[in-house]
Amino acid sequence: MKEITCKLLVIGAGPGGYVSAIRAGQLGVDTVIVEMAKPGGTCLNIGCIPSKALIHAADDFHRTAAMAAGRNAMGIRAENPTIDFGRTIAWKDGITGRLTMGVAGLLKKAGVKMVVGRARFRDGKTVEVETETGQQVIRAENVIIATGSAPVELPMLPFGGKVISSTGALSLTQVPEKLAVVGAGYIGLELGIAFAKLGSKVTIVEALDRILPLYDTQLTQPVAKRLSALGVEVLHGTKVKGMSSNGETLLAEAADGEERRIVADKVLVTVGRKPVIEGWGREELELDMDGRYLRIDDQCRTSMRGIYAIGDVTGEPMLAHRAMAQGEMVAEIVSGKRRSWDKGAIPAVCFTDPEIVSVGLSPDEARAAGREVKIGQFPFSANGRAMTLSAEEGFVRVVARADNHLVLGIQGVGAGISELSAAFSLAVEMGARLEDIAGTIHAHPTQSEAFAEAALKALGHALHV
Amino acid sequence: MAYDVIVIGSGPGGYVCAVKAAQLGLKVAVVEKRATYGGTCLNIGCIPSKALLHASEMFHHAAHGMDALGVEVSAPKLNLEKMMAHKDATVKSNVDGVSFLFKKNKIDGFQGTGKIVAAGKVSVTGEDGKVQELETKNIVIATGSDVAGIPGVNVEIDEKVIVSSTGAIALDKVPQHLVVVGGGVIGMELGSVWSRLGAKVTVVEYLDKLLGGMDGEVSKQFQRMMAKQGMDIRTDAKVSGVEKTANGAKVTYEPVKGGEAQTVEADVVLISTGRKPYTAGLGLEEAGVALDNRGRVEIDSHFKTNVAGIYAIGDVVKGPMLAHKAEDEGVALAEILAGQHGHVNYDVIPGVVYTQPEVASVGKTEEELKAAGVAYKVGKFPFTANGRARAMLATDGFVKILADKETDRVLGGHIVGFGAGEMIHEITVLMEFGGSSEDLGRTCHAHPTMSEAVKEAALGTFFKPIHM
Repeated sequence: MKEITCKLLVIGAGPGGYVSAIRAGQLGVDTVIVEMAKPGGTCLNIGCIPSKALIHAADDFHRTAAMAAGRNAMGIRAENPTIDFGRTIAWKDGITGRLTMGVAGLLKKAGVKMVVGRARFRDGKTVEVETETGQQVIRAENVIIATGSAPVELPMLPFGGKVISSTGALSLTQVPEKLAVVGAGYIGLELGIAFAKLGSKVTIVEALDRILPLYDTQLTQPVAKRLSALGVEVLHGTKVKGMSSNGETLLAEAADGEERRIVADKVLVTVGRKPVIEGWGREELELDMDGRYLRIDDQCRTSMRGIYAIGDVTGEPMLAHRAMAQGEMVAEIVSGKRRSWDKGAIPAVCFTDPEIVSVGLSPDEARAAGREVKIGQFPFSANGRAMTLSAEEGFVRVVARADNHLVLGIQGVGAGISELSAAFSLAVEMGARLEDIAGTIHAHPTQSEAFAEAALKALGHALHV
Repeated sequence: MAYDVIVIGSGPGGYVCAVKAAQLGLKVAVVEKRATYGGTCLNIGCIPSKALLHASEMFHHAAHGMDALGVEVSAPKLNLEKMMAHKDATVKSNVDGVSFLFKKNKIDGFQGTGKIVAAGKVSVTGEDGKVQELETKNIVIATGSDVAGIPGVNVEIDEKVIVSSTGAIALDKVPQHLVVVGGGVIGMELGSVWSRLGAKVTVVEYLDKLLGGMDGEVSKQFQRMMAKQGMDIRTDAKVSGVEKTANGAKVTYEPVKGGEAQTVEADVVLISTGRKPYTAGLGLEEAGVALDNRGRVEIDSHFKTNVAGIYAIGDVVKGPMLAHKAEDEGVALAEILAGQHGHVNYDVIPGVVYTQPEVASVGKTEEELKAAGVAYKVGKFPFTANGRARAMLATDGFVKILADKETDRVLGGHIVGFGAGEMIHEITVLMEFGGSSEDLGRTCHAHPTMSEAVKEAALGTFFKPIHM
């Protein structure tokens, strides 16, 4: 097969990879992207998007079931809702199908050539791709490594049989009667809550003594409360040991040493993700590592000239939008623009019920960084819009420097708060002070008013509490 | 004992002004005619209508929105009485909240009709006819607005068959046919409520488009969506009569450009043609407070009327009739009265229409920029290309950003879509900062959220979107 020569080669077409390729194409850079599966990567095919589709369907089903059980404060009654889970999954697959086709279309429109197959570095400028029709060699001035991440496997609970990863959980053909979730991080909780709403009896096993260890307890408490209302059992301080010898039961050990046997139809293991640093010829290169990740500088350059890395393979936070922002930046650098990484804010969203958002520093992190802080917290129970939505659980919290009121971080928990994250990020990114937020008119009645009120509260004079 | 401030009216403008003034150390009283605090907004406006909008959305969604997701349910039943109870409970907790805030901030509340006797003197007439007179250094008029009726047409609103928004949030059964006169925000919101609960809804609008001053593209797509939802929309229609009949009422209208009159029969007619400032019985004439040519209290840029010591805010003065505009005026005025320097930025006031999908807007429309001769650029992004929107079956609508062609400063933002009312605030904050579309486009937005469409529209404004 004839060799391809290009200015930019992108390995991996997840959110980081495909965004960098599209941007580069738009800027007139001769670009090739290699992907071994469908474009869109984990995010579009087996991650963010399908999980949100499932969560949405589960919400709808659960809400209707509450109507049927007479537990609807608004006077709506329904009878016998059922779920045709096969159709739900087909609907979800329709969405991912359209989105991956959409990405392929966007790449084409931007003039990016797509090569399907597994890529492997021969040297820093040359990559071989095993395609269906034979080996394709690509020579590139610049290469972006965007190989992403994969679920971490536990040695005593290898994937297979009853033991599934998030990928497996998103392609079940029926709702498991009993689901055990190992790991109470955001992926485990998002999926665990969705299946609980679809009717599974869910048990969550977590080695630590709390859920969502990356967030403070104030933020996680409403989620813990909701889990218990949904009948989800959470076993804290419990370590999994493996499956029973007949493969039917999950074995675990509680903090007091007592053995727990958890009967489950499926065991979902969500104990984190690891960067994909093998299988693409890293050994042919001289790339410095940063722990288990590829080391990069503030322009996403690796230790080898002309080789960049973006996304999950470069470290935490492993978030699609961080990868996309990096991808956009590297494309612009390759096209000759002067860019460097200076994002002040990368929002993190947990699509649990209720949702959690965090941007910038939490109160503890700010204090640990030696800052004297002012904190303002405003509850949705004092917000009119939240009342009308029957969604009064949660709050918005603003953390600012005590001396000049510069906003250092914004967190919140509540129904639908994921969409408030954009305003939070923008405020941190633009260097807002508390007065700036408080002085911006927020439409009434909206949940966003809680943001302005939290800023007012930090200034010592909230209006509505 | 004399007060520092007496606020007449406890709607969002009035109560916020009172709370803020008290927080700043002033001695404050509030006079309220209604039995509960909170004004139109909390009692018969924003809050109860949002409670019904949400509840009716849930009902409609249970009936129609879930089949595609594989969730199957037999036709849901409506218990309207219980739905109204949810609305009333929501109102009660909100108005109780205002009483609590007054108590907490040591604000004296007076129940009765307030009247300005002269600068520094307010009389309160209670229900029992007893009059007390209060003394104060400053008076704040925050009496709000009232239903306007149809100019030149004699309409008798009985709040049963011919209703204003007040009656439309308290109907005791779902009308078979509701005719909405006036396709503005209120008419479209309440029309949506009853349409979702099963009424046939016909909207009669004088202008050639819905939602009056909204961006043209926005109102065009909005109209298409409302028609698709089953509303019968008749624009360019001038209503010449609204009368009660034996079985309900009838509305007569004729084309604005001239032509034959038509009549539609209805069980209930909603008059939502706008609101007018409420100043009756306030004693403004006696006190010598000047009104402008539209009956609004005339104020200077510091909310001061022509009479020293008398101020006015909210719907009773110029500007958009929005609760949050009134609240911000209340805050600014309280600060001024406490010797500080409050002000309101009228260029950045968001507006939200709580239909489904929602419409939200801040700053200038494309038409306004054209008329002002401003060179601008536009970025647009549809929710059909947004992953979260697809996952929620909420792909209707788009984001539109308008920026100055030379400086890239964002001049306006418009969103049609599910949750637009919350998403508009990042554009609002950005505009308060005088930010550019590049600032917006280069801010990291969480994935997958619908707000990514805002980022993409901004990317499209200064260069190209990624996902289009």
